[in-house]
Amino acid sequence: MEILSVNSIVKRFGDFEAVSKVSFSVEQGTIFGLLGPNGAGKTTTIRMITNILKPDEGEIIMFGERVSASHQNRIGYLPEERGLYKKIKVIDQLIYFGMLKGMTRSEAQSEARKWLKKLDAGTWESKKIQELSKGMQQKVQFISTILHEPDVLILDEPFSGFDPINTEIIKKIVMDLKEEGKTIILSTHIMEQVEQLCDHICLIDTGKPVLSGLVREIKRAYGRDTIIMEWDGDDSFLNDFQNIKFINRSNNRAEFRITDGLKPMQILQKASLQNNIYKFELAEPSLNEIFIDVVTKQGVSNES
Amino acid sequence: MNPRTSTNKIKTIIAHEYITKVKTKGFIIATLIGPLLLLAVIFIPILVTMLGADSTERKIAIVDYTDKLGKQIESQDTSKYFISYQTEESLRKEVLNGKLDGYLVIPKDFLKKGVADVYTMGGGGIGFINKIESNVREVARKERLREAGVDLSVIKLVEEGVEINTQKITKEGTEKDYAEAYAVVGYVFGFIIYTLMLLYGSFVSRGVIEEKANRIIEVIASSARPFEIMMGKVIGIGCVGLTQVLFWVILSGVLLYIVAPMMGGVVGDAAKMQSQMMQQNPNMVMPSSFEIPAISPWIFVAFIFYFLSGYFLYATLFAAVGSAVDQESDAQQLQFPIMLPIIIPILLVGYVISNPESTVSIVLSLFPLFAPILMMVRVAATPVPLWQIIASVVLMLGSFYVAVWLAARIYRVGILMYGKKPNLRDLIKWVRQAG
Repeated sequence: MEILSVNSIVKRFGDFEAVSKVSFSVEQGTIFGLLGPNGAGKTTTIRMITNILKPDEGEIIMFGERVSASHQNRIGYLPEERGLYKKIKVIDQLIYFGMLKGMTRSEAQSEARKWLKKLDAGTWESKKIQELSKGMQQKVQFISTILHEPDVLILDEPFSGFDPINTEIIKKIVMDLKEEGKTIILSTHIMEQVEQLCDHICLIDTGKPVLSGLVREIKRAYGRDTIIMEWDGDDSFLNDFQNIKFINRSNNRAEFRITDGLKPMQILQKASLQNNIYKFELAEPSLNEIFIDVVTKQGVSNES
Repeated sequence: MNPRTSTNKIKTIIAHEYITKVKTKGFIIATLIGPLLLLAVIFIPILVTMLGADSTERKIAIVDYTDKLGKQIESQDTSKYFISYQTEESLRKEVLNGKLDGYLVIPKDFLKKGVADVYTMGGGGIGFINKIESNVREVARKERLREAGVDLSVIKLVEEGVEINTQKITKEGTEKDYAEAYAVVGYVFGFIIYTLMLLYGSFVSRGVIEEKANRIIEVIASSARPFEIMMGKVIGIGCVGLTQVLFWVILSGVLLYIVAPMMGGVVGDAAKMQSQMMQQNPNMVMPSSFEIPAISPWIFVAFIFYFLSGYFLYATLFAAVGSAVDQESDAQQLQFPIMLPIIIPILLVGYVISNPESTVSIVLSLFPLFAPILMMVRVAATPVPLWQIIASVVLMLGSFYVAVWLAARIYRVGILMYGKKPNLRDLIKWVRQAG
């Protein structure tokens, strides 16, 4: 079921078109990656979905209706720039944010306690935010986003500021919420996370959508043009090829893409003349590679 | 979980702003200390008068070379003056030892030249020297008249003191008019409103900036409409101000109508002492301002109205300015145009108090940006015609509406603008831009 559909929305600030004709749709119970380089228009797009801004053109349909203030209670939004009242106690803050999302005081209080306990933060309840470490503040902020059990969660760089252990905990919660049928829109620059978590993505650049679809289909479409190989000995054989674009290269391991009709077998043959080959893998490009590829190409076409 | 209906978010915001602010130490202290200051303003003049009347503390020796004026001066205030036959040198020592507060030397040619000298350790206040001067002048005048052969009964007539009692005519008859006291009341109320508007206005602006600088606003804006957020804050902080003002009004009421009559004994003593002193020294004019005039409850009603309407008018503008900047230090330049119309009336208060019925005063006090202070002053100082009060109320409500309209448009754009320090022209552009 389609829970959100963004139809050619446009947003201008003065003469600057921050978002131009962006369209995508999100299925219920999936994780949707909204990607793009800095300044691409992601935050502006998110602000229009959360009804903070109104699009100049186009429309956003959520839960089958045009987005309006009445949908705000069903959305949880974690902005990239986190913000909490420094001098207010953790529990009071969570209760306030919960009530702003339409919860009663007692509902908000019991949900806040439940989540604080779940995230090993039960003892912070009456601490002021300014007494907490950055990571602890991030947890409180995350709780404030999911406290009211929103149907749609919009998470902008949700894992920044967390150590690897807490990152895993938060990831687990996000996956659990997905299992419960919640819909999640994830915006991040960490492509490994997108590969792990997202079903669909939409990549926008300079306000325009440049790539969208299912993650596995996008990768498949790029084809297996990435080679990962490991060997023992001399690496000079790699220097004989012009049509190689390195992603990683060290003395006995390399990850690279081949272009312009270069055959993988040619490389393997050449390499095996000099070295023992331990590994030779034809892989799909990583999302990171695709991202860089698309955005740089986009930049070139924009300039011409 | 159950689908939640959109409850009244503005209520949540108001409650949040109110509770957070009312719990602060600053608020509690200011609320409690306010009435103490008022108490001080009312009772310090009484205490000063009472202390001033107690002249036994100071002893002044008189060295009289005329052999007749000294006695007359002594008789003016026997508790203070005494004739001394010691040498000036030994009196000087006594003053230095602290046994004596000072000594007065009346030279032989005093009546001709009219110059006498008082020697003290310095200090003691202008009132102290003035009193001696007026005592000496009094005696000298009497003596000069007598030497000129003026009849004693004429001298007595000349000495007769004059006092003007101002009487206010009302429908119920005449009553004592406290024009001066009411002017002071007007000034005090006007000044309190001025302080509260600036104070609570800056609370609003600071609160808006805090939410923007800490990026809280983005979370809140995804939960409620900008208009609700802004008005919730303005109303919430306004309720804090109202709580404080009501507390003050009730406490002042208690002080004025319950405690003050009980203090009547003290006030009576002061009055008695005053009349005694008038007998001793008819030329001395006592300040009458320490008498407590009955303050009409309507003045308190006007006070609350002008505080609230003034606060709301300015607080919304303060919110708009706060939304436009990224940090507090950037706000000053933009706040200046809002603070100016709050400060100007304070400069005009003196004129309005002296001429509360002049056309200029009427026009100034009707002007909505000045009304919270100047109309308040006029209402306290003079009976303001009903049509002017109605006109003022209508003007206040109308301009509040305009201010909210303007502020909401600026706020909506401002809270999401970072990085650029906007000027007034940008704000005007935002107002036009917002469809």
